[in-house]
Amino acid sequence: MNAVQRFIRSKVLLLTAAILIAAMCLSVLVQSQSQAALNRTVDENSRGLYDVLVQAKAPSGSLLQPEIANGSGGISFEQLEAIRNLTGTSVAAPISLVSRVTQNLESPRLDAMDFLGYNAGLAGTATADQAAGATAPDQWPAAESVLGDETRKYRLTASAVSSDGVSEQTLFKSTAEGTLGKARLVEEQTAGGSSIRIAAPGDETGIKFPAPAGGSEHNLFNLSVSLPMAPEITESVVAVDPAAERALLGSAGDFLSPLEKAPPGDARDAGAVGRYLEGLFTNGISLDELEEGPDFLGVKLKYWAPLMTQYQQAKRNGQLTDDSQAIPLIVRSGTSLDLKYNVKIEEIDDAGKVIKDVGTVSRSLDKDYLPFVSKDPFVLSWPGSTDHSSLLGSSGNFNQGLYTPATWSTDFAAAPKYTDGEAAANGAEQKTAVPGEWVTVNRLPEKSANGMPVDQTQREPVDERSYRENLETGEQAAAPLAMVYGTFDPSAVAAAAGDVNKLPLGGYDPTPFTLVKDAAGNEVPATELEPSLSATGLASQSAGAITDYYGLAAARGLTENANVIDAVRVRATAPGSWKEAQPDVEQLAGEIREMGLEATIVAGSAREDASIFVPGYSKDDAGKESALGTVQQSWVRQNAAEAVTGSLSGTNITLLFLTLCGAALLTGASTVSYIRKRKSEAGTLRAMGWTQGRIRRWVLEEFGVGAVLLAVAGIVLSLASWSLSTALVSASVLVLYAAAAFFAAQQLRHRDEVDQEPQHDERLIPVDSPLTFANRQLSTNKFNTLSLAVAVGVFGAAAGGLAALLIDIPRAAGASALSGLAAASVALPSILLALAGVAVGLVLTLVTGRFELNAKRQYLGILEAMGWNPDMLRQVRLFENALVGTMALPLGVLGALGIGLLLAPYAALWAGVAGLVAVLCWIPIATKVVQ
Amino acid sequence: MTNPTNVHRSRRSGSGEVPLQTRANTIVKAADHATPLELSDITIRYGGGKGGAEAVSVVEGFDLTLHAGEMHCVAGRSGSGKTSILTVGAGLTLPTSGRVFWEGDSLESMGDDEIADRRRALIGYVDQGGALIDGMSALENVLLPAVPDGEVDQRRDMAKDLLDLVGLGRRMRHRPAQLSGGERQRVAIARALILGTRVLVVDEPTASLDRASANRIISILKDTTSDGIAVLVASHDHELVRLSDTLTELI
Repeated sequence: MNAVQRFIRSKVLLLTAAILIAAMCLSVLVQSQSQAALNRTVDENSRGLYDVLVQAKAPSGSLLQPEIANGSGGISFEQLEAIRNLTGTSVAAPISLVSRVTQNLESPRLDAMDFLGYNAGLAGTATADQAAGATAPDQWPAAESVLGDETRKYRLTASAVSSDGVSEQTLFKSTAEGTLGKARLVEEQTAGGSSIRIAAPGDETGIKFPAPAGGSEHNLFNLSVSLPMAPEITESVVAVDPAAERALLGSAGDFLSPLEKAPPGDARDAGAVGRYLEGLFTNGISLDELEEGPDFLGVKLKYWAPLMTQYQQAKRNGQLTDDSQAIPLIVRSGTSLDLKYNVKIEEIDDAGKVIKDVGTVSRSLDKDYLPFVSKDPFVLSWPGSTDHSSLLGSSGNFNQGLYTPATWSTDFAAAPKYTDGEAAANGAEQKTAVPGEWVTVNRLPEKSANGMPVDQTQREPVDERSYRENLETGEQAAAPLAMVYGTFDPSAVAAAAGDVNKLPLGGYDPTPFTLVKDAAGNEVPATELEPSLSATGLASQSAGAITDYYGLAAARGLTENANVIDAVRVRATAPGSWKEAQPDVEQLAGEIREMGLEATIVAGSAREDASIFVPGYSKDDAGKESALGTVQQSWVRQNAAEAVTGSLSGTNITLLFLTLCGAALLTGASTVSYIRKRKSEAGTLRAMGWTQGRIRRWVLEEFGVGAVLLAVAGIVLSLASWSLSTALVSASVLVLYAAAAFFAAQQLRHRDEVDQEPQHDERLIPVDSPLTFANRQLSTNKFNTLSLAVAVGVFGAAAGGLAALLIDIPRAAGASALSGLAAASVALPSILLALAGVAVGLVLTLVTGRFELNAKRQYLGILEAMGWNPDMLRQVRLFENALVGTMALPLGVLGALGIGLLLAPYAALWAGVAGLVAVLCWIPIATKVVQ
Repeated sequence: MTNPTNVHRSRRSGSGEVPLQTRANTIVKAADHATPLELSDITIRYGGGKGGAEAVSVVEGFDLTLHAGEMHCVAGRSGSGKTSILTVGAGLTLPTSGRVFWEGDSLESMGDDEIADRRRALIGYVDQGGALIDGMSALENVLLPAVPDGEVDQRRDMAKDLLDLVGLGRRMRHRPAQLSGGERQRVAIARALILGTRVLVVDEPTASLDRASANRIISILKDTTSDGIAVLVASHDHELVRLSDTLTELI
């Protein structure tokens, strides 16, 4: 019988080699699949809207903060052109923060329905020709009012509240009282005829809040009570090159197309534009033009009226100069600013006691709000009121007396300053947001829109933490007038920017903060911070408007082409995945750096949540500062793709190696047990005159067949996968197998001494139960017990190591969004790989256990014949395996801990637990097998 | 297929050895049922499973009524089904068909646990070669049947007496590997008697033993019958066949 035949006859050797080869094939296959999934995920998600971020100053660290437009400039238009002229440049889109713009929301009012019905003397001219959808006189409803025929005394309490999503702040609370009643029409005879007017009841005092609130007055539809001024709000404006920005954003940037049609810088004279629009109104304007807006150089200016009225106001106040420009703007639709205006209405008696709670009405700035455009955002309606003003027809988008011109400044709401803290195990960075000084907000303007002085005592200024930077630009800009060309939806822009590979677009795409821990470090439900009263706070909302670079120059008062570009986002012409485009992108970045600019390669990056502690966020009445807590904000992790690929590939290979090593070690254990069974055969051969060396060769030849099979499998797998790691792993398995073979051959050495078993030692634990019986059996067969325990221990250690690696994958992958995605993509193959390893280990421990199976079955048969019932026999099996498991536990748990500490310290404890569980699970499985 | 041929002989007295009753009268209970073991129309077949092997009928229509104090020998050539009949009688395997009664109760109506409990109380089984548990002394081996009832300590003196009885009083601390074949067989018989067995089922007790050792075993078995214990023995030993009360010869 030759070696091959003997190998085949030795079913265990054949089985062991087969299991090893199957494990190798499966592991390599799964590992290659895992690697392919990883590469695919990384390739698909590591190239965002642009490849290189150009700034004047180099960002520090590999985690880039998202605020790239800060108003500090540093890049000139010549440099921008030079970047565009590079052969590797596809798109170079500049962006700058232009200004902070403070707007007055005008005086809010409360309208209480007091409709007097149709009266030709008051409504006749507007309805005579049924203009703009006006209702015919005979169809006007009957008069109705929420006010009484007799005057009643009311108390109005007006307040404004703003919240950052965590805490609410009352900005002011003001109360006024007075009597109100239903109005009446009074017809008076005048010279040459009669006149009709609306008159308040004779005993009505009206309600008057402090100046500039103008008190209450009756009109055809309502009693309007002028309310205290709403706080001013602040918006930021950014400048982009509309054509480049559209190229960057694709169809999501179409909202910028009207801006491309804006007149050139030298044709934006605010006076000329204002006069033109004023002239339209003076000379007559069609209803269609009123609805859609007049045509202005090929663009219908839907929101033309605000510019016209601002022009009138600026002219009246002496703000308009020859340098004043009309700035074309695309304004944001909606707001994330949390600002709510409330009015509580109570009917009271003469003593001030509440007779009836009429109700509380409130209104928030919401999606209807348009910066620079919205009129009367805080018109509140008395409970039970109906708005009849539409009976006169629509006035389109024209409303007179809208706004005073906004105040533009370079006190920027810039990004907070950050200092680095400790890095977490997975590389996630802890930072602290360093706030600026305390600033006073919630102030009232000195004068109201109509020039009246404002009562400053009605409002308590509020201290708010400032993150702003003051940017001195020299000249004070002449009052710019907002010329609104269109609107944009910030959520649509954010969606276009991608998710995993999200790169900061600039001020119109701010990155939100989410509070995750309170000031004491306790976890809280994730809450996104809202911009509150002004943009000076930590959280900022999307820019109120986007303009072009001529607009920037006008707002800043620049007379020449200064270095005003904050950042340029450059997309390379090279197509394909990041890996494919990498050489070209790196070359392009190098060429940009040669211009003296800082070029950061952001292709191959991914967003990553930075944990930021925010101290001194709020101040109580006593002036004591309190921290906000820890917030998270998506930053950009450079080289995330490379790091993720590297770490997860390493994990993959380690998993593969561990799986196969575990199998190989267990093969050794099974081989040793197998050799014990061959001892009698070796004895026979010795009796036939075989030498020690000949017997050794006889054994090694059998193992040689298995080794050849393993080697062939390893070579085939290595060639097929063309992977050095596979070759190394295959070689390692072969070496371990060979070592096991040599060790096994050693076990067959002939020993001259005759085994002289001693007589029974009475000190042994007496056999009086299944447990003591199992104990005696194991102690009688010490070698087999020990080898099985070692096999089980190795199995537990390997299972623990695999578990540690699996648990450690997220940490090893890093903290970026790409890491999570990549870890998810390899999770299933990795779990399969780990399960394969555990399964191989388990099978081999059972194979090892089966070498003793016949002996076990024999003595179990004896016990059965003696009347031991099935339950006791099961106990014997269970206790035997439990004792082996107990012996294996230290090796399994400590081995798992050791492997865990070596490969994945973060998960070492879990590795130990997994090792423990694996050994404990082995006990019932092995018990079942022996049955 | 093997056809049993039952040869019934009259009962005889002991073989001249010291009667068991006189040496161990405190440890052997008298039979409390006239027919402790009865086999009825037993058929035993092997094979015919999934592998497609042809089923082999070893025993067919075998009947046996074993009375207290009677030694019945099942004789026959190797492979004739002697051991199969013994394992069926001891309730260790189930017959293909037919019924086994222990003291009049059919095994068909018993569960595994009840069979085990009844076997412990009724039957002592000694398999071919007197299989003992390695790693345990002769005394511990004898005491093994007492473990389920937790009577190891109570039975220790009895076990020593039994080992004395079978001539191994000085070898009780020896392990199986240190005992000869005949000694192991005697330890196994002592073990089978430890719980006051009423039926002793013994498989080839004298096989591969020298004549002197075989005679000693036969003498022990014969002595047990005089104490009311029924003995069912499988053997082709002429001396044993000669001394048995009844005989079934399997052809």
